[in-house]
Amino acid sequence: MNDSNSDTLTSEQQQEDCSACGTPLERGDLRCAICGKSAPTRRNEVAATEVVKILRCTGCGAAIAYDPKKQAPSCSFCESVMEIETLEDPMEQTGGYLPFSVTPDEARAQLQKWLATLGWFRPSDLSTTARVQELKPLWWVAWVFDADAIVSWAADSNHGSRRSAWAPHAGTATVVFDDILASASRGLAASEVDVLTRGYDLYSARPNPQGADGATIEQFDVQRSHARKQVAQALEQMARQRVQQNEIPGTKFRKLQVSLVLQNLVTRRLSFPAYVMAYRYKGQLYRLVISGQDKTLLTGNAPYSQAKIAIVTLGVVGLLAIIVLLIGIAQ
Amino acid sequence: MAAGTIEPKIQYKEISCQSCGANLLVEPQMLTAICPYCASPSIIQRPPSENLPTPAFTIGFVVTQDRAIEAVSNWISRSSVFAKSAFRKAAPELTRGVYLPAYLYNAVANSDYRADIGENYTETETYTTTDSNGKTVTRTRTVVKTEWRTLHGQHCCYILDVVVTASKGVTNEALEAVEPFDLRVLRRFSPAMISGWLAEEPSRTQDECFRFAHGEAVDKVGRQLKGFMPGDSYRNLQYETDVARESIDLVLFPIWSFAVRYDESKPPLQILVNGQTGRVGGKVPISPVKVSIAIVLVLLILVVGALLFGMVR
Repeated sequence: MNDSNSDTLTSEQQQEDCSACGTPLERGDLRCAICGKSAPTRRNEVAATEVVKILRCTGCGAAIAYDPKKQAPSCSFCESVMEIETLEDPMEQTGGYLPFSVTPDEARAQLQKWLATLGWFRPSDLSTTARVQELKPLWWVAWVFDADAIVSWAADSNHGSRRSAWAPHAGTATVVFDDILASASRGLAASEVDVLTRGYDLYSARPNPQGADGATIEQFDVQRSHARKQVAQALEQMARQRVQQNEIPGTKFRKLQVSLVLQNLVTRRLSFPAYVMAYRYKGQLYRLVISGQDKTLLTGNAPYSQAKIAIVTLGVVGLLAIIVLLIGIAQ
Repeated sequence: MAAGTIEPKIQYKEISCQSCGANLLVEPQMLTAICPYCASPSIIQRPPSENLPTPAFTIGFVVTQDRAIEAVSNWISRSSVFAKSAFRKAAPELTRGVYLPAYLYNAVANSDYRADIGENYTETETYTTTDSNGKTVTRTRTVVKTEWRTLHGQHCCYILDVVVTASKGVTNEALEAVEPFDLRVLRRFSPAMISGWLAEEPSRTQDECFRFAHGEAVDKVGRQLKGFMPGDSYRNLQYETDVARESIDLVLFPIWSFAVRYDESKPPLQILVNGQTGRVGGKVPISPVKVSIAIVLVLLILVVGALLFGMVR
């Protein structure tokens, strides 16, 4: 595992950038994933003068022909298959691990504190009877990307509207994406990721997992081509948000359309530390997630006390009834 | 006239088989040859020139000859009932699997557009009408009206993977009929990929293909812009597109080509099979006789139906 990580790091240093859009080409890319421009060719394949040749098997010397069953050039006598450079579609691999800076004890203490501050509607015995079922350190995976984007958009907004409630607007914006995180985690929900992402120091990444023993290490379980689709979707989502926040005039909008062109898209794959705690209260399982680098960032669900809610509801209804009665009597 | 007209002489390439030494004449547009005496697959490599670049990528054949023949037979038997009977009975003649040259085009499009955007609103209006008692009454109703506004804007997008044929033997429509190809399994061109198969040189110039791809790109932008318009409706959409970062690569696509001769007096019909996915494409000849019979039948049924209906009443 350690060796393969250092391998990916060195190969990333050797990579070239796309000559059209500046996006780094990764090992095995025959074309730019963003703009489709072909990667520079290896010169040795190009003939200098016209030549006629028969390709021969290095094993037995028989002629080699392309075989659709093997989908590769192969020798018809000794069945050996020739390797051909293809567009690789490997599984994604993490490029580094952010270390844990919050200890398991701190995380556990934070959980108890959080349970105690939940408010009156929670069961009063929650912080004492909730059993911390499992406290699992976890490295979850995400893509981090930087890019410059030209975003063109069109939408209807209430700004400048006349008889109709809507007026059309359009515009172009240059958006700089800097260290944008797109989750690739299967284990964590999008809402949990949203809370966690605020507190990580992206520059603390190390090639090996550090700081927690027995941690679950989540793997990227998508292939590169699929990953690129997900990253592209995340980018469009981001662009959409930026346009909503900064570009569209007025207070309401509808029918927002966004189209973007990227420059210098750099994608990194990183593993992020977190503690996942499952606790049981009266047989129900609840989950809490705490960032491994900032213990104040936590999110989770907790039970409500049905009894307390019922009492309050009854109380409010009773109070209303009394008021109505009093008003009736007064009139 | 003395002798018959002299046919334009084809500049055959003369190569000698590296295996048995036989001299072979090869058509000028071919990249490969198979020796008729020893069946050795030769590959002809030439230096790239401006209008004749070296292929950059290839997609290998996945569909075998048997599967291609089966796909075409199925396709013919499933063709429209209006197809000519002779066509449905004809046996397809296989010409070999061929690597077809085509250009793969990618670009970024920046467009300025102008359109009238319609925003709907409702208004209550009063109108007078006569009610069931014959009295004139005034009523109100809500009507939807449209307010038109002019919108100027810019639109930028990628145009990815436009495929344009570079062979005079296959038109773009014919190629489109068997598309798409799965470009994720693109391989860098290597002579071994085409060894033992027919492979064609591009017979259309790169400039010609480039211009065509450019036109396709602008059309694509037009279609995207239609979906980009805000409002409830739009009209008078005009746009001017500036295409940048254009790139074009020569790709060899795997195609099984079939010829169907169903009529002695007509040239054979071309049917293509996508050598990667097995998708079949071709133009089915429609029989005018069958179509007229069908029309007459439908008319007859209508007339009979109307007559019966009249008698019942």
